[in-house]
Amino acid sequence: MSRRQFDIRLSATIASVRVVLRKASKFAGAAGISAVVAGCATNAPQDTWQPKGPNSKLIDDLQQPVFAVAGIIGLIVAVAVVYTMIKYRDRGQPIPEQTHGKPALEITLTIIPALILAVVSVFTFGAIFKLAKTDDTEMIINVTGQQWWWEYDYPVQNEFGITQPIISSGQLVMPVGTKVLLRETSRDVIHSYWIPALNGKRDAVPGRIHTLRLEADEPGIYAGQCTEFCGLSHANMRMEAVALSKEDFAKWVANQQAPYVAPAKDTLAKQGEEVFLNQCVRCHQVNGLTRADGTPAIAAPDENVWSGAAPNLSHLMSRNTFAGAMFNLLSKQCRDEVWNAPSDVVGAKYLAGVTEECLNQKDLRAWLRNAPEVKPMYANPADLAVSNGKYRGMPYLALSEDDINKLVAYLITLK
Amino acid sequence: MFSTGFKYFFGVTVLSVVALIMSYALFEKFALGGVAISFLIAVGALLAGLLAFSSDGTTRDANTSTSDLTTQSIWPLVSAIGVVFLALGLVTSSVVFFGGVVVLLAALSEWMVQAWSERASTDSTHNAAARKRLLNPIEFPVLAAVGLGVVIFSFSRIMLTVNKSTGAILFIVAGALVLVAGVIFAIKPNMKRPVGAAICVLGALGIVAGGVASAVSGEREELVEAAAEGHFSHAECGPEESKYYDKLSEGTLSLRSSVSATVVYQDGELIARIQGLAKPQKSLTVGRSIPTNIIFRNATEGEFRLVAHLGGSKSADKAADGDSHKDETCTQLVAPGAEQSLTLNIAKPSSVENVYYLYIAGSDEKKIELVVP
Repeated sequence: MSRRQFDIRLSATIASVRVVLRKASKFAGAAGISAVVAGCATNAPQDTWQPKGPNSKLIDDLQQPVFAVAGIIGLIVAVAVVYTMIKYRDRGQPIPEQTHGKPALEITLTIIPALILAVVSVFTFGAIFKLAKTDDTEMIINVTGQQWWWEYDYPVQNEFGITQPIISSGQLVMPVGTKVLLRETSRDVIHSYWIPALNGKRDAVPGRIHTLRLEADEPGIYAGQCTEFCGLSHANMRMEAVALSKEDFAKWVANQQAPYVAPAKDTLAKQGEEVFLNQCVRCHQVNGLTRADGTPAIAAPDENVWSGAAPNLSHLMSRNTFAGAMFNLLSKQCRDEVWNAPSDVVGAKYLAGVTEECLNQKDLRAWLRNAPEVKPMYANPADLAVSNGKYRGMPYLALSEDDINKLVAYLITLK
Repeated sequence: MFSTGFKYFFGVTVLSVVALIMSYALFEKFALGGVAISFLIAVGALLAGLLAFSSDGTTRDANTSTSDLTTQSIWPLVSAIGVVFLALGLVTSSVVFFGGVVVLLAALSEWMVQAWSERASTDSTHNAAARKRLLNPIEFPVLAAVGLGVVIFSFSRIMLTVNKSTGAILFIVAGALVLVAGVIFAIKPNMKRPVGAAICVLGALGIVAGGVASAVSGEREELVEAAAEGHFSHAECGPEESKYYDKLSEGTLSLRSSVSATVVYQDGELIARIQGLAKPQKSLTVGRSIPTNIIFRNATEGEFRLVAHLGGSKSADKAADGDSHKDETCTQLVAPGAEQSLTLNIAKPSSVENVYYLYIAGSDEKKIELVVP
């Protein structure tokens, strides 16, 4: 190839690259604008920039100035780089004199970032120690993660009216203005608990107990998400923290401690109770439920589920979600009414629970019909060898439509 | 003259006969291994006969003979031993079987490399060097590891046989001898190699001989008795001191970072302290199917153990009924001011019929309820 041919080809290649870069820059610009606009979304329940409690505000107070300082430094660096690229771009000028090493400049450029980081670290350590405090705790809640749902149990705490342990799942209910300490652990793999509006993340590790402070300023429902990849349905392992006024929390506690009320005889719900005893009680506990001979129906999730636990359904319809908070028990309209309610009435609306009119029958029935179809789980018998035949998540139970009708009628009674 | 192939298969046959007799004499069973060894004898004898008859099928050519370059080889015999161990392992244990596999593979590798190197050129010196260059980097580390393993295993047998005090003295003496040998080698760098080798070999042989003697005489009585009682896994939860269980400290305080509660026995009272709760607790909530670590702190002047009663009637009552099943687990006897952890994993919820609690052995009225939701 002659030199002339080479130059022609090189010019053509450069022209093509420029066209591609031009298109790519337009695309990158559009993507950047989209990202910025998305950041302005108002309906973002897991937004880390909207703290709703003192712990999250502590983090926010730290990240706001750090973000500002980092942004300014980033901007200075970016402008300097772009300025240098344009100002000293190759225009055929001779190569300027090369120099090496400017000790004064290098030392300055080392000391300034070190000082900035030192200042940041002082405030960071201060925040870390404050967030790790446990001696001012007013209430403790044990939180246990397993594939793919969270269990909450409230030990006896007479000052809150908890005279017998309460066990729940999906939604963490807590009183506002109360320093709550979560004691986290896991039954199977590592999970991570995160309600962005109330505090940062904390891993739930099998065999260990990690603590996390939560406190909410106002009544409301705050969304969260497992933030440690934990298997097939990690993305569906959600949680919600429900902050109630102290009066509403007392009502919630009283309801959770209320004894079991069996469905009336000769009703569809009573038939549903029988289906529950035959099918569901293998894993799911309903406190107070007894068999026909009067003996307590004790669930045996340890014999059927890899993690050794399944959600306790004693007061299922007092919650708004099921299946690891992946699905709503409330229909969309009823759920919106609770979520969008002003803080002074959200408690009352939440305590109303799930009524027959508000029940999200579609998702509940789909779940009962074939759970693994609507939430990815290791429920295929062929995949169970590694867990000694035990399920991870709820299996397909081959329930008939008649059984599902009965079960729905029964479950709605578990207020 | 007998050919190499004949010698190999003859050796297999003879050793297989020995193995067959030994296996029957020692274990009085043939089963699959006996059939395999019998089959090996038949095949070995047949092939040995055929090779003897055909002289390995080789024809001698005076002009191309390489027999001058070949040396006598031990590897056919070692291979035969490997095959026999392999077959014997089918009757006895998998350890013997896999030992046979290792010996056979090693012998075949050596045999093949030797056969190749002896025909690599017409210069026997070059051939020997070629073999060394290929195999010595493997042989030396393997032999050293095996030799050290034998010495260490022998020393462990000695330590299991002698009593604790003698064991400590032996350990000190062995360490001192190694130090002395090291010092001698350091200050006498020009020592003749055979002298150094002799010191090492004598020391190793002494330990191996001691190990063999110890293995024959068996472990010391205390260990045999303790193993028979199963004290490594069996916790005796009574107030009295257990002969073995309370002797071996578990050292489980490394679990401190994951403590669910600290149970303190002080002034005749049993209380639980939970991180985050200022007031001492008289009940603990324990998650279902979750390993839960509890630290027991003995703040009294006596030795006590903490017992977790995990449902059903108490063991003593059950024993009276002829039921030896225990639904209890416990710490060892904990000295005054000391601590020990206890790990619980309870699968079933507590109820009126199924009550769980912690108590001090011998003082049943001091209880902390374990609530499993």
